[in-house]
Amino acid sequence: MRSRPLWRLTVHGLLLLAGLVIVVPFLWIALTAFKERNEIFSLIPQWLPAHPTLQNFWGVLDAMPFWRYYWNTLVVAFGLLGVQLITITLAAYAFARMEFWGRDVLFILLLVQLMIAPQSTAIQNYVTIVNLGLLDTRLAIMAPYLASAFGTFLLRQTFKGIPKELEEAASLDGCGGLRFLAYIAVPLAVPGYLAFALVSLTYHWNEFFWPLVITETSKARTLTLGLGIFAQTAEGAADWTMLMAATLMVVAVPLLLFLVFQRRFINSFMQSGLGG
Amino acid sequence: MNRTVEPRTPAGVVPAAVVAGARGRVRTRRRVMAVARPYLYILPTFLFLFVFTHYPILKTFYLSLFKWNLATPKMKFIGLGNYVQAWSTPLFWQVLQNNVLFAVGTIPISLALALVLALLINQKVRGLAIYRAALFYPTIIPMAAAAMIWLWILTPSYGLVNFYGKALGLPDIHWLGHSRFALAALILVGIWKRVGYYMVIFLAGLQVIPEHLYEAAILEGASPWQRFWRITLPLLSPTTFFVAIMAVIDSFQAIDQVYLMTQGGPGNNTNLFIFYIYQNAFRFFDMGYASAVSGILFLILLGLTVLAFRMLHRRVHYA
Repeated sequence: MRSRPLWRLTVHGLLLLAGLVIVVPFLWIALTAFKERNEIFSLIPQWLPAHPTLQNFWGVLDAMPFWRYYWNTLVVAFGLLGVQLITITLAAYAFARMEFWGRDVLFILLLVQLMIAPQSTAIQNYVTIVNLGLLDTRLAIMAPYLASAFGTFLLRQTFKGIPKELEEAASLDGCGGLRFLAYIAVPLAVPGYLAFALVSLTYHWNEFFWPLVITETSKARTLTLGLGIFAQTAEGAADWTMLMAATLMVVAVPLLLFLVFQRRFINSFMQSGLGG
Repeated sequence: MNRTVEPRTPAGVVPAAVVAGARGRVRTRRRVMAVARPYLYILPTFLFLFVFTHYPILKTFYLSLFKWNLATPKMKFIGLGNYVQAWSTPLFWQVLQNNVLFAVGTIPISLALALVLALLINQKVRGLAIYRAALFYPTIIPMAAAAMIWLWILTPSYGLVNFYGKALGLPDIHWLGHSRFALAALILVGIWKRVGYYMVIFLAGLQVIPEHLYEAAILEGASPWQRFWRITLPLLSPTTFFVAIMAVIDSFQAIDQVYLMTQGGPGNNTNLFIFYIYQNAFRFFDMGYASAVSGILFLILLGLTVLAFRMLHRRVHYA
């Protein structure tokens, strides 16, 4: 009965309306990025650029160390992911498949990371980073996230699902301990790893506040922070077309990846509940 | 390799240690390894966790008991002085009020919208993937980019919102510079950014409601409206609850958009908790006071989380 044409039309109409409200702002800035500077100061908005131009994008490359920021972002996001994959695999395996004294208490201590706002520990972490001599480095941007309660939690669920018999059989064949982990448990958990990787990469690509606190120069700054700083310099603030070009350049690659691997992204974030 | 050795208690190792001879020593080492292995596995995680999560929480409360700022560069113990200072600072209360208003403005609307959108998407209409992508994409772009987008859209005179507002007969509003509308603008951005994410969580919740319940209800002649109130909403309540808690925590973490769109202004009307902490710590260098405000934020979020789990517990038992 849900397939009545009128009902279907209503559903489409409402979804279309909501979709437009969400998409139009982005469309507007994307079109702005291709406009000439004086074109935007018309009192009647012109949707399409009259003379499409790439000069805003070149302008951004001149006005800020865009590629430097890009490189920093890649190093931070992927470097961090690399370390996280190791820490969460080992911890998740221990919590999922080993009995040890204090396990439950330790697990709760791990989950504390999910309950606090990372921003609220920023002051003390700033002091720690200064004491470690890491101020204004990419390592400092990664430091608070090297352990991931979310990732450990997610993988632990997957590892728990591996049948005990499989582990015993593997052990009899000389494939116990770390070998079992590397050759059997990890390959079985690939979907979990993928979900974690997408959420972690997105989160750290987008992160603004901690890099803001912990960097002082463009040496270690990431893209998102670079965009924010550019917006507040005279050059960026006065020039909407260039600022929108910069915004577009910052989101372009992740957004394209999202459009291509939509389902994967959404499924990953579905599982992320606590991680976002 | 010796997975068959079951470590029960560390004490179980001791008798093995007295076994003499090479074989005994190997066995002892194996037993010690078996006991130590799980701790070695969790060591890297807990090393980082301790340094960057547990220690800073404890240290924040510790620092909050000291006067430590530009005027007092040498830390001085003042007990609960910083908390008393927060209590008697009108701005602290305004920040709290702003944050509550921000939460109240953002959460019910985004949850209601997200639920409606999830129900619509769940109708399995044609073009579902396109709608879902269109609604979800703000989740994966940085809040900083969202802030840029809305800065431009809300600009006075040339912004899109003001243009169409004027067409409807509204005055030209400087949204972010207006004491009444600036917070509303941040709320709008918050909803726009998060509604797709909440929708997806609701979708996950909807998909586990057993189909046969609806079939039975249809057989008994329940209207779609009744099915929603009697089946969907009650069975979705754990999800709703979870999303609500997440949204409250989100609202107390909001900072990027404050920093980039309003800097807390005009007149501190959009100054939210984290921005207030940031100002005190890194602009006024009043570390002691900023730690006390962080401590208060911890307690608020901890209280909410505990409350959440308690209510969830009761609800599960109820169901």
